[in-house]
Amino acid sequence: MDNQGLVNLGILDLVVAYSLVLLAIGLGKLKRIGQEGQMLWASLRMVFQLLAVGYLLHFIFAVQHPLPVLAILLVMGGFSLQVIGSRIKRKMPRFYQVVGTALLIGCGGVTFVFCSLVVHYSPWYDPRYLIPLAGMIIGNSMNGASLAAERLGAEMRERHEEIETALCLGASARQAATPSLRNAFRAAIMPTTNTMAAMGIVSLPGMMTGQILSGTEPMVAVRYQIAIMCAITGAVAITAYLIVMQGYRSYFTKAQQLDMGWE
Amino acid sequence: MVTVDGVTFLGRNADGGSVKLLDGISFSAKAGEITAIIGPSGGGKSTLIRLINRLTEPSGGRISVAGVDIGTMDPLQLRRLVALVPQKPFMFEGTVLDNLQMPFRYRHEAGPAAQSAEVAEVLTLARLDRELLERDARSLSLGQQQRVGVARALITKPQVLLLDEPTSALDRRTSDELAATLREICHGRNLTMIMVTHDLRLTEKVADYCFYLEAGRILEQGRAAELLAHPVTAELKRFLSEPSGQEG
Repeated sequence: MDNQGLVNLGILDLVVAYSLVLLAIGLGKLKRIGQEGQMLWASLRMVFQLLAVGYLLHFIFAVQHPLPVLAILLVMGGFSLQVIGSRIKRKMPRFYQVVGTALLIGCGGVTFVFCSLVVHYSPWYDPRYLIPLAGMIIGNSMNGASLAAERLGAEMRERHEEIETALCLGASARQAATPSLRNAFRAAIMPTTNTMAAMGIVSLPGMMTGQILSGTEPMVAVRYQIAIMCAITGAVAITAYLIVMQGYRSYFTKAQQLDMGWE
Repeated sequence: MVTVDGVTFLGRNADGGSVKLLDGISFSAKAGEITAIIGPSGGGKSTLIRLINRLTEPSGGRISVAGVDIGTMDPLQLRRLVALVPQKPFMFEGTVLDNLQMPFRYRHEAGPAAQSAEVAEVLTLARLDRELLERDARSLSLGQQQRVGVARALITKPQVLLLDEPTSALDRRTSDELAATLREICHGRNLTMIMVTHDLRLTEKVADYCFYLEAGRILEQGRAAELLAHPVTAELKRFLSEPSGQEG
């Protein structure tokens, strides 16, 4: 077999790969762990979801028109907003407005800069580049946004005595909330920072591995990985920053009073 | 001077419905006097003093400080004029000196140094030992933290000092010491001092004027000594005879 190019996987190969899931299910059953049903359901969902998205991407790649590409990006953004909303139990007022705007500016802005100034491919909507790059940026920002919004709410609740004491001493709402804002931002960017620190030593990133497997020269794959990690870090930081800086205002009235009455 | 005129406050009850927590409250508190607001828990005492420095907004009525409607004032300016010491003063991370400098940091000003006259004055007023300045504020006893809370509120020279249950966490001896401290501060600085408490010993020792607040309404008011010695309403008589009114 020629190992220089892409090794195409056939149906039989996938069946062999899936037998590893069946092995895991068998082990669970043998040891009565009780997760067999969930494993089977999750693995089937994974197969069907990926096959569906594969056919969709195949269609979009063939059409080469900006509208379906933009529609896909909108669906990805909307879905990530819905996922964030479902993860946060106690939502601040204007939650979807705050988080939606942050995602739009953070992910949209970074994707635009990255695609036009770093990768600079043509045409701008080329789905082969735009969809996977935006997908990685949106996916990581979704996690950052979710952590930022959740941590901000928890900090405001836990620190309400500290915040009111600061207000009593003449602090503005922003000054009183500063420790909470710092902690929420730190929590949001920590997973990205940790991933960057461990990259290449603890783990080989998925995009780079995929590119190498598909025959790309390792140094080209590495350069792509460095660039996308920079973009992800920027997008997560901008999104989290906008969420905490807009979100904290929801916890105060115009008269600089802490207002948790809506909780 | 603080004037409260027909103030009402609507809160929410456990079912989420609207309930009148304060109903037509009117009184004046003069400079150089300590005004005590006494009454059972849940009667609206703490809510009332939160309204005076706009930590909470009243639903109706008017509150003025030195003749100016506080609703027209910038809340940050108001809170520099009207200081509130909460029931459990929160100690910020750092030393006692860091805590005393905190109000100045919020104003983007350099805080007074350990050797400054301002720090010396509030340490004396709050009867705090100078050696405590470099101690971690969170490692102090509750009584010392209460005093740091008072000193921190006084260091910016407010005109009005609001105290929420200042002796709730203190033993009798420390409570008596704080009572003496409060009288000295009030008269020495000609402060308008309003204190919410259910500690009748403290009220007897320090208050010049007293209001009895129950279920959001002032039921009785007068000179503190007179009010406590000769209650008129059945509610105040009952409150004065209950053990909860004898704490401290």
